[in-house]
Amino acid sequence: MGAFGAFVYYSGHYDYIVIKFENVTKHYNKTKALDGLDLEIHHGEFISLVGMSGAGKSTLLKLIIGEEKIDGGKILIDDIDISRVKKTDLPYLRRKIGVVFQDIKLLPKRTAFENVAFAMEVCGHRKDKIGKDVPKILDLVGLMHKKDNFPHQMSGGEKQRVAIARALAHRPVLLLADEPTGNLDEVNANEVLDLLLKINQLGTTVILATHAADLVNKIKKRVITIENGKVTIEQEKGKYKL
Amino acid sequence: MLDSISIFRIIKTGAINFWRNLWLSAAATMVMTITLVILSVLFLMFAVTNYSINTIQDKVDISVYFKNGLVEDQIMNIKKDIETDPKVRQIVYTSSEQAFQQFKDRHQNDQSITQSLNELSENPLPATINIKAYNLEDYPAISAKLQDVKYKDFISKVNFEDNRLVIERLGKILKFIVTFGLGLAIVFSIIAVLVIYNTITLTIYNRKEEVEIMRLVGATNWYIRGPFVVESLLYAISATVITSVLFLPIFSGVLPKIAMYVNPSVTVFNQNIFNFLYLVLMVFAISIILAVFSTLLAIRKYLRI
Ligand SMILES: Nc1ncnc2c1ncn2[C@@H]1O[C@H](COP(=O)(O)OP(=O)(O)OP(=O)(O)O)[C@@H](O)[C@H]1O
Ligand SMILES: [Mg+2]
Repeated sequence: MGAFGAFVYYSGHYDYIVIKFENVTKHYNKTKALDGLDLEIHHGEFISLVGMSGAGKSTLLKLIIGEEKIDGGKILIDDIDISRVKKTDLPYLRRKIGVVFQDIKLLPKRTAFENVAFAMEVCGHRKDKIGKDVPKILDLVGLMHKKDNFPHQMSGGEKQRVAIARALAHRPVLLLADEPTGNLDEVNANEVLDLLLKINQLGTTVILATHAADLVNKIKKRVITIENGKVTIEQEKGKYKL
Repeated sequence: MLDSISIFRIIKTGAINFWRNLWLSAAATMVMTITLVILSVLFLMFAVTNYSINTIQDKVDISVYFKNGLVEDQIMNIKKDIETDPKVRQIVYTSSEQAFQQFKDRHQNDQSITQSLNELSENPLPATINIKAYNLEDYPAISAKLQDVKYKDFISKVNFEDNRLVIERLGKILKFIVTFGLGLAIVFSIIAVLVIYNTITLTIYNRKEEVEIMRLVGATNWYIRGPFVVESLLYAISATVITSVLFLPIFSGVLPKIAMYVNPSVTVFNQNIFNFLYLVLMVFAISIILAVFSTLLAIRKYLRI
């Protein structure tokens, strides 16, 4: 597992279900975003979630972190029904799930180090622990040498890697990435993808929602395709088909 | 629950927000201060008027002067007779000897008076009783009763100074102060609530990104809300401090003089210190209620958690 192993969750076996969607439906007013979706994701998997624009990929991820409420069915995370999680307990669920987005969402007036530290600060970690952990996480994403750079002093790929570092600050079981390479050129996109694969290799389950066919084809891991709010194609070691 | 580090960070973030929008913070503090000053003036005027009314009310009484040469029993009978009246709260009897002694004591430093007193062969002062009623309205009736023919041979004079008019007038002033002042205070409280509401809304807007990230990385709801509440508490505290500083001279200088003027026999200095703390506490409590109320409104409306 190496020096960074401490920052990723590793149970030693891959055969239990981290997330289970059972007949999940979700509407926005009249739009049916998800319509009876079933899905099981095992611990340690790397899932590529593909589908046309508006297929419901982001919605699926938002349901996992409790940012949107489901209208029907059930979502189990580690056997916990998240619709039963109290609003005041949602933050603790979110500490177990890292998220990164296409628009990165770094704080512009904070350095790389401070952006990662922020995630720990707001959850009540002590300064000495933050001082010890953040360099290790930045090492993991290969950006320790840029720790004092502000976001505007970094490339898009580097910024996204800082965001990934921040998402790892609470040692999540699960990392959700919603089009993390959407705004990046090929080189930067590949950097980010390599990092996600590395994190997965260290034991964290990763769900990557993306449009980028070439990336998906390169990954050669499980691909889930969503259409009309349902899973239509599931392939092991799959390719981007649409 | 929140640990001490989180509480420290919440307070720190709140203070930073306060400083970042210093002009807005100053405006919010100022409106709050104006509200508190109005409330304090209202409170003071109420206290002074009320104090005056009580003092004057306390001074109202009926003095009955008896004729000379009466036996004490006769006076006591009349006293008992009056005492049966349920309107009467208190009767104090002063014999002519006591009255003379009191007079001497009061003027013991005055050479000429002492001298002329010593030259007197007979006590010129009458025996008196002093009557206090429960209610102001009862005095005329009691006074009228004492004019009855059956007392004619014993009582030389009934002295009743009718202060009711003054008291009534003061009462009207008090009522005006309360209604007008309360109306003004309510108007300014609403303005203060609106200004703080807007200021906090702006802070929420300025920190939108930060709030979103906090939610994503799992900060608790109270950790996210806390700094906004702290910011508004800082307005309340600043306004309370400014108001207290403005009112301290009034309390230490002006009020004792008013009290002395109204009632020279009472030293109210200690009482004033107490009143000052009381005022500060009242003003602080009100400012906190207004600040927290407006912040919770803003949070409810604009802080999506
Ligand atoms: N907050 C919202 N209010 C109303 N409709 C919404 C909302 N969010 C998403 N939708 C709708 O739900 C459907 C699914 O949206 P979603 O964002 O999950 O798609 P997506 O697969 O992530 O698309 P993309 O690839 O473009 O990101 C779309 O039709 C979208 O218009
Ligand atoms: Mg999307």
